[in-house]
Amino acid sequence: MESLIEELKTKIIAGFNLEGVAPADINPDAPIFGTGLELDSIDALELVAIVEQDYGIIITERSVADQAFASLRALAGFITSHRT
Amino acid sequence: MLRRRPVITGTGIIAAAGCGVAAVWESIRADQPGLRPLTLFSSPRFARHLVGQVREDVDLLAGNARGSRSDKLAWIAAREALAGAGLADGLGGLDPGRVGVLFGATVGGMLGTEKFLAALLRENKSRFGPLRFHECAGAADLCAQKIGAGGPVATLSTACSAGALALYAAAELIEQGQADAMLAGAGDSLSRLTLNGFGSLLLLDPNGCRPFDARRAGISLGEGAAMLVLEAEETALARGAAILARFAGWGASCDAFHATAPQPEGRGACAAVQRALARAGWQPAEIDFVSTHGTATPDNDAMESAALKTVFGGKVPPFSSVKRFFGHTLGASGAIKAVLAVQSLRAQAIPGTPGFEVADEKLGLKPVTAFRAQTVSRILSNSFGFGGNNVALVFEKFPPNSSRREEVPISNSKFEIQNQEFSPSLLASAPAKGFAILGLGVVSPAGYSLADVAATLRGGGAPVSWFAVPAMSADARAKVLACGEFGADQGLDPARRRKLSRLQQMALVAARKALGAELAAGITPEKICVALGTGLGSLADTAAFVENLILKDERAPRPALFSGSVHNSLASQVAIELHCAGLNSTPVQRQIAFETALWQGATELATGRAELALVGAADELNQYQLAAGLRWGWWQESSPALRPFADPLAGRQRPLPGEGCAMFALGRADSAANPLAFVSALRLGRRQELDAETEAIWILQTLARNGIPAGEVDLLLTGANGLRAPDDFYQAVAAAFSRAAGRTVPCAAYKQGCGEHHSASAFGFLTAIGLVRGEIASERPVRTVVLYTLSPTGTKGMCCVRA
Repeated sequence: MESLIEELKTKIIAGFNLEGVAPADINPDAPIFGTGLELDSIDALELVAIVEQDYGIIITERSVADQAFASLRALAGFITSHRT
Repeated sequence: MLRRRPVITGTGIIAAAGCGVAAVWESIRADQPGLRPLTLFSSPRFARHLVGQVREDVDLLAGNARGSRSDKLAWIAAREALAGAGLADGLGGLDPGRVGVLFGATVGGMLGTEKFLAALLRENKSRFGPLRFHECAGAADLCAQKIGAGGPVATLSTACSAGALALYAAAELIEQGQADAMLAGAGDSLSRLTLNGFGSLLLLDPNGCRPFDARRAGISLGEGAAMLVLEAEETALARGAAILARFAGWGASCDAFHATAPQPEGRGACAAVQRALARAGWQPAEIDFVSTHGTATPDNDAMESAALKTVFGGKVPPFSSVKRFFGHTLGASGAIKAVLAVQSLRAQAIPGTPGFEVADEKLGLKPVTAFRAQTVSRILSNSFGFGGNNVALVFEKFPPNSSRREEVPISNSKFEIQNQEFSPSLLASAPAKGFAILGLGVVSPAGYSLADVAATLRGGGAPVSWFAVPAMSADARAKVLACGEFGADQGLDPARRRKLSRLQQMALVAARKALGAELAAGITPEKICVALGTGLGSLADTAAFVENLILKDERAPRPALFSGSVHNSLASQVAIELHCAGLNSTPVQRQIAFETALWQGATELATGRAELALVGAADELNQYQLAAGLRWGWWQESSPALRPFADPLAGRQRPLPGEGCAMFALGRADSAANPLAFVSALRLGRRQELDAETEAIWILQTLARNGIPAGEVDLLLTGANGLRAPDDFYQAVAAAFSRAAGRTVPCAAYKQGCGEHHSASAFGFLTAIGLVRGEIASERPVRTVVLYTLSPTGTKGMCCVRA
């Protein structure tokens, strides 16, 4: 779980060009969107694409995305439970 | 002065619910939804989704039209509308020079472009043919050519409100007296781009849309076209046309809130509705029925319900959403709803809302579920697009009920003042000074300020660079005039910048320079409008999104690229960044996109709806467009420079492709403190014959109507680009103009500074300003410049820039 969280941090920093943000700056228990990272709803949808691309999990409903993106830890849990 | 009031004399429609108004109305009467599984193309991701696809047995070639699927749908609807108006065989008693076309579109020929990219990326085959019909402007050009229109021709691309905005602009042209009749409407075909794009935004409901339902989960995508014939009431009556309904009012606004999500309380939507009602002189209580945008996304229907409650208070009139009959036909939606409004007023009945079953308590409103007879005199129709582009239209039964007074007094004093100030002749015959140019911003191959541009032009023209074209071959390159590093890092916040496409960054850099904080100070956001033209939009994002679909077989489509690919993402990003909540428009009519934007901005100023207008145009280079141009011989790799009017003996050059953005802040001349220059005598039109004399007369007439003596014109600034035919024609027009004016008026060009691209005339406008200010060098003093641009399809625009 912790290694998956670290992996996700790297993907988010690279995927969203978060210059000057280090993995340690991201709190795994804070909401991913609408907080200090200045990520918005389009970024949330981009993360849906990243989750599909890299983990093969297809999210089609916004309510599912909202739950999965509650925090990085929640996302890691979501990926672990859905990964085949 | 009595306003020239637009009326509707013809309607046509083709969509999933049927081909022809009668067939569609039959589906509506029977509450028969038109959604079915997609068969138009294969989509691995959305194969089982219900869509609003036009039936396969409809013969799209019946209209004998060449073009994209969108273009063909448009012409089929147009033919029906024209026949209904008694104009099937020629324009009857109408003056062709006063008949125009206004079209709304967001998809254009994307379906064909996807085929081109699939063949290239999967099979390495270069089949450039479909790219000829890529542009949204194709349908307006096709319709204009078929009917022989010589009046204004334009296309607007504001996503899902494009059709409604096209009707808005057409009504303005009629009311201003620039046209007697307009063929106006919209059309969009289904495409992989839009299907996957809405999918990537999680906005598709696989089971079909359920508007205003508690379980609603998104839209169903659809396709179709609807066209209307709008005429001035007086000229329609004079030629004995049957009037179907009155087009009584129109209003627009921008949320200036988010790229794809609506402002939750519907503030912008309310503003648009209130403006439309004010335009008609109606109170909210006079509306009998609301045809909602009603897309069935959770956000839209919540926002629209909130807006209805705000506008109508406790008494929301009966309302419905027809989205499950058609799917969401994007740009076409507003035009389809206009045709249905006309049907409702004639049949005294209103459509239901198929798909709605369970009321949503959170909305607190329930739509009309099934078709029903109802007395209906006045209808409101809402359209909301990405970027918070809101348009509201109101229609009235014709003749109006006798119990009602013809002219309802306008109660709102604010609007009363506006209507008194409004003069239909303001643009056809602008006041002596016209409009004041208060600020400018430019990103161009010749530089990033007027001073830069002036210095570059003194040196002969913008520097040439190489642009890679891997679509041709691995090492293929083309010579271009490119913008280089234009300094987006200086003006833009890094967190915002990383989310913007290159073209959006270009537009924002230019817009911020044009509309400085001191200009906007003291003006409410609602009074600032944006009209930002683009011929081709963010090609980089569009290409990347579609490449991704093809190469990954629709896996993980990228929402940010889709959001950036929408033409009006430029204008809406500018509105968000600079807080502009007035009309927000994206004209896309090829080389006259800028002139259309200028006209729209001036119209908002003239009618008092805006106090500041931010107008301009932006386009960028892209390898696919370069590859197609090389293949078709538009340009060649060896062109050393762009040299307009080159010596024929030295061999004419091919033009060099270019890019760039120029933006201008405009205000009313009487309120300007320190204007850079003035602009007046704006006019859009279409060249009907290849005759320089006729063109010179067109320009002279426009100047005369605005009180500008032809003898005061110092220069004709044209879109000459080094190709023999257009350059010779521009020179012939200047010669004819000179004979009529009694003095030699030289013919000049501006494309040596910006290259050949759809937004080049915005750079031409900048050049004109530089010339009349004496900042750009000229052989003799220049105080009055006529900027005249002619596109290869014949559409044209002119304006006069004065010191």
